[in-house]
Amino acid sequence: MSKDLYEQLSNIEQQAKLTFEGLSEMKAVLAAVLEKNAELKIENKHLREHLQELGQPTTPKAGAQALSKSKQNLQNLYEEGFHICPYFYGSRRENNEPCAFCNDVIYGERTND
Amino acid sequence: MKFSINRTQFIKTLNDVQRAISAKTTIPILTGLKLVLSQEGLTLTGSDADISIEATLATTDEKNQLTVEEPGAIVLPARFFSEIAKKLPEDQMTIAVGDNFQTTIRSGKSEFTINGLDANSYPHLPEIADQNPFSIATDVLKQLIRQTVIAVSNQESRPILTGVHLVLNSGEMLAVATDSHRLAQRKLTVSVPSDVNYDVIIPGKSLIELSRTLADGDETVEIRIAENQVLFKAGNLAFYSRLLEGNYPDTARLIPTSSSTQIEFNAPVLLAAIERASLLSHESRNNVVRLTLNTADNTAIIYGNSPDVGNVEETLQFENLTGEDLEISFNPDYMKDALRSFGQTAIMINFTAALRPFTLVPSEDQEHYIQLITPVRTF
Repeated sequence: MSKDLYEQLSNIEQQAKLTFEGLSEMKAVLAAVLEKNAELKIENKHLREHLQELGQPTTPKAGAQALSKSKQNLQNLYEEGFHICPYFYGSRRENNEPCAFCNDVIYGERTND
Repeated sequence: MKFSINRTQFIKTLNDVQRAISAKTTIPILTGLKLVLSQEGLTLTGSDADISIEATLATTDEKNQLTVEEPGAIVLPARFFSEIAKKLPEDQMTIAVGDNFQTTIRSGKSEFTINGLDANSYPHLPEIADQNPFSIATDVLKQLIRQTVIAVSNQESRPILTGVHLVLNSGEMLAVATDSHRLAQRKLTVSVPSDVNYDVIIPGKSLIELSRTLADGDETVEIRIAENQVLFKAGNLAFYSRLLEGNYPDTARLIPTSSSTQIEFNAPVLLAAIERASLLSHESRNNVVRLTLNTADNTAIIYGNSPDVGNVEETLQFENLTGEDLEISFNPDYMKDALRSFGQTAIMINFTAALRPFTLVPSEDQEHYIQLITPVRTF
């Protein structure tokens, strides 16, 4: 009787392990998907912008900030919830916490050093 | 080993040393307290591998009433030993080590025998050569710690940011801490030869313990820095901490050099207002308050909002507002920590833009202490 119980427990333990592994895997996949999604969104936006530019060649973009294209990309990634600073590049910003390093990369003044 | 000592003095020193002893250590002998007795005095050592504290009770100090009968060394289980020492009946206690490290603790009619360990198996404290020690006033060091550790990261996933970056360069000491959301920086002038330069990262936890250990009575703290250890010496106490390895991010460029909007507040008044505004923001998913500055109307209004509960709006009382209009959102908790560190004083807040970090400095001395907070984008 107690032996059965022990075996059952072992089985449950195995199952729990499997479930945990599954969860970890799912989380990793989800993170990758989110990242990919952010990338695709930005790329899509680019293509649309490009398409628009092709349609009407000399329209100055309204409301555009003084940010360069590449910095806008970084800004978009940052707003999607990813670090873009060299220290934590690519990791998620938890609870949408601000990051001074990312902020510096996007808005900071860069000298040629 | 055999000696007798004044219990009150002994317990005082024991309490200091015990700060370093952790029950959760992976090295069993470190749950013990090391006692070393020589003709000069009794030295107590505690360590958790990250921090080590050593304190000496000198024979020459009459208050200690220390009589050395036979020099020696022993390691005793810290938790039991300190509880025993604290509960003994008389003012004086006698400790004697017998065979097999069996230690007898006697006071009045009470006698305990506990099992000790061989002091030779206790790890050696790092040797820090007397190369370029320098001193700082205890109260200044404590203030520096209090002002910077608030910005230290508590996420072990970013080990380097769990420390305070200490840079000593041509007689100027710079202490910086940041968790990437906010930053605290303190500058000090230290009297050292100008060719003495250091660049180290001290774990924030060590500094907090150090600050608790330093007695107000000691006037200065001597600091010695070696390859991977730092030693703080104050009075009869030596505090060792390991240093964090790695390169600290370049923080100098995070601090804005110019500003477009400046406002002056009384720190406690603003703190009270922020505390009120944060009552609701804590309930909301993104913990944010919004500050609106209008120079034409000369108003500063703070808003807190939680969709489920309600909202708050408060017109702030300030001293001086100049520059451009601004609307900025930030995490009120960072603001609270920063404001508390200023105490009862007037502060200047300098803004550059809604998305750029802003700084808080004391109105009186804008050079030596600065708090920086990164805003949150909410639109």
